[in-house]
Amino acid sequence: MKMIKTIDFKRKTIRALSIISSIVSITMLVITILGYFQRITLPFSPILILIIGSLFSILIALSAVGLWTYKNWARSIIFSLAILVILYFFITTIFKFAVIVFGGKEVTPIPIILRTFFNFFIVKLSYKIAIPFILILIFRYQEEGFIENQAQRNFFDNSIRYVLLLAASSSLFIVALIFIFTFSESTLAIEEIGLEEMLTGTIWRPGSIIGNDTAQLGMVPMIIGSIYSTIGAVVIGVPLSVGTAILLAEIAPQIVRDIFRPLIELLAGIPSVIYGLFGMIVLAPLIRNFEVSGNSGFGLLNASIVLAIMILPTITNITEDALNAVPDAYRKASYGLGATKWQTIRTVVLPAARSGIIAAIILGIGRALGETMALIMVIGNSIAIPTPLNENPFTLLLATARTLTGNIAVEINYAAGAHRSALFFTGVLLFLLLLIINRVAHYMMRERKP
Amino acid sequence: MATARKLLKYKPSKFDYKKNLRARNISQKIAFGIIWLCAAIAVAALIAIVGYVLINGLPAVNLEFITTRPAGGVSGEGGMSTTIVTTIYLVIITTVIAAPLGVLAAVYIVEYAEETETGGSFIFAIVKYARIGVEILAGVPSIVFGLFGFIVFVSRLKLNFSLLSAGLSGACLVLPVIIRTTEEAVMAVPRSYREGSLALGTTKWQTISGVVLPAATPGIVTGIVLSIGRVIAETAIFWVTLGGSYRLPRDIMSSGRTMALHVYSLASETRAFDKALGTSAILIIIIVALNLAINLSSRQFAKKFSGK
Repeated sequence: MKMIKTIDFKRKTIRALSIISSIVSITMLVITILGYFQRITLPFSPILILIIGSLFSILIALSAVGLWTYKNWARSIIFSLAILVILYFFITTIFKFAVIVFGGKEVTPIPIILRTFFNFFIVKLSYKIAIPFILILIFRYQEEGFIENQAQRNFFDNSIRYVLLLAASSSLFIVALIFIFTFSESTLAIEEIGLEEMLTGTIWRPGSIIGNDTAQLGMVPMIIGSIYSTIGAVVIGVPLSVGTAILLAEIAPQIVRDIFRPLIELLAGIPSVIYGLFGMIVLAPLIRNFEVSGNSGFGLLNASIVLAIMILPTITNITEDALNAVPDAYRKASYGLGATKWQTIRTVVLPAARSGIIAAIILGIGRALGETMALIMVIGNSIAIPTPLNENPFTLLLATARTLTGNIAVEINYAAGAHRSALFFTGVLLFLLLLIINRVAHYMMRERKP
Repeated sequence: MATARKLLKYKPSKFDYKKNLRARNISQKIAFGIIWLCAAIAVAALIAIVGYVLINGLPAVNLEFITTRPAGGVSGEGGMSTTIVTTIYLVIITTVIAAPLGVLAAVYIVEYAEETETGGSFIFAIVKYARIGVEILAGVPSIVFGLFGFIVFVSRLKLNFSLLSAGLSGACLVLPVIIRTTEEAVMAVPRSYREGSLALGTTKWQTISGVVLPAATPGIVTGIVLSIGRVIAETAIFWVTLGGSYRLPRDIMSSGRTMALHVYSLASETRAFDKALGTSAILIIIIVALNLAINLSSRQFAKKFSGK
């Protein structure tokens, strides 16, 4: 009997809330209309007022209708709106608070921080979010007053599927957008300069710098720079990473694995600028010790070493997975024939894991081709085709160069017209190249599985 | 025929087993030595980089360095206070955009994929291509994301160089990370959980939101922490979308500079290497802490479903 009474009371409150929210909705609609025709001044632009105001008033009106019949979805709408409002105030207050604390030349002293924290953050924020917070509390207390029937649940269940579908197709949507936009931006360069000129021209000279000379936008120097640095990284990095993977998967005792594996994972997480910084500060002076005229320390050798360290975790992880995927029966059969451990690894395990290892190397190449900032810092960024510094062909390693990725990052902020368009064409090239590389790698990895 | 002839010619009596074994053992020792050397070089490189940055960077780090604002320009004076705040802003914006989207997408790919197989071919095609889309997105180099963000958010949508455009581009970058880890986490939830919930008469979405997602939370958190690490470490994409102002962003539409960008700017524009190293040291400490958090949460997740 008592329970029925409380529910009855709760339902009455819900009806009251429904009336209140219908009033709020109408008021908001009036404010929106007045604000849109600028009869009253609001701190937003008219179009924003129209969109947000009408959206909110419609939602509140909807929930008022729902609340009148104790519908559960009306409660959800009010809940989400209240949380949105709280979030909005929270974010704006945080920005203002951060400006007070960090905005000056130095961080304000701690007593002042504390004072502003209490005066500004706590007091002002709680003053702003009081109403939505109380609403949430009331609705939490009224939970039993609402009804949720099967039809409503089924409707929600069916409609959420399409929301999820929308989310799932977002990745596809982004891929399509990336391709469409970079490609449409690059059409200008294709029309004005021509594909052949860009892909085979050996001089990169954006006209805007030279003056009234026509722009020459040949990408061969950058393509060669990318290829050379990637080859260097593969030559240095692949033996190291495959060796590490064999050690971790086959040879090392458990303790070594437990130490090495997190270290390799850490290597993958370190920001690429730190590798670049290391190349600049440590490797460049070391390389400068080679007494060759024109050797600045920056160039292909430096870039290859830095890149080799950066692709190491990628190759190591995937190779290790491939080695671990080789069935233990293969190894046991090999041992049973009298083979030593190394013979087993060399003649049984490595061939069995071959496609996985190749996939790992291909993915490593992809990572090396896509790397940008670290390379800008160590490769020297000259626009010429890298050539040996003297008769000795090995001095090619000391020559400066520029990669495709680096070219985009260095020039995009001031490029315009055909020049900018050519940079977007570089982006399209990289996108397609890495698409092919990753598809091949995934194909190889899938082939591995029985 | 040829192999048979070879077998006939095979004379085991002339075979010196001991010598052969010794040679094989020696070759194994040499090979293992080379492999150990490779791994040692790899780990030594890591220790050299981390050690160098920490040893040379930490002396520059003190309270004053952390609490003063970068002076800007080419002098390289000042600290890094605003870059820390900007990094936190960017991490929050990126996560708020990418995490719900990624989790919902992964839930669809895992939970609804099988039922659409029998359903309409169009929806099935979308799920199939959504998976490929995630794979492609994971392989796109970050500078291409940067170009995309630059053309769409910065110039076409006129958001300019701002936290919002950088956050949107960053969300595209970390979306595949979150989708993949969430997919794995949701797949790891035992079937019995779902069946138990469905037997109580819940709808599919109620099962997912009430049982599957809470059970998969540690895995999802791992994915989000991973993506936070990506955002903190990423430079190229923010170089072309965030601008690089050393001032504090006053709202979501203003330009800023993350810690990684600060390292790049200091190293390439000012040559204030000590400050760059100091910022790098703090970055490395953050990354190590994030890695520890990931290890902890994934271990917890593995413990939860093992032996059950």
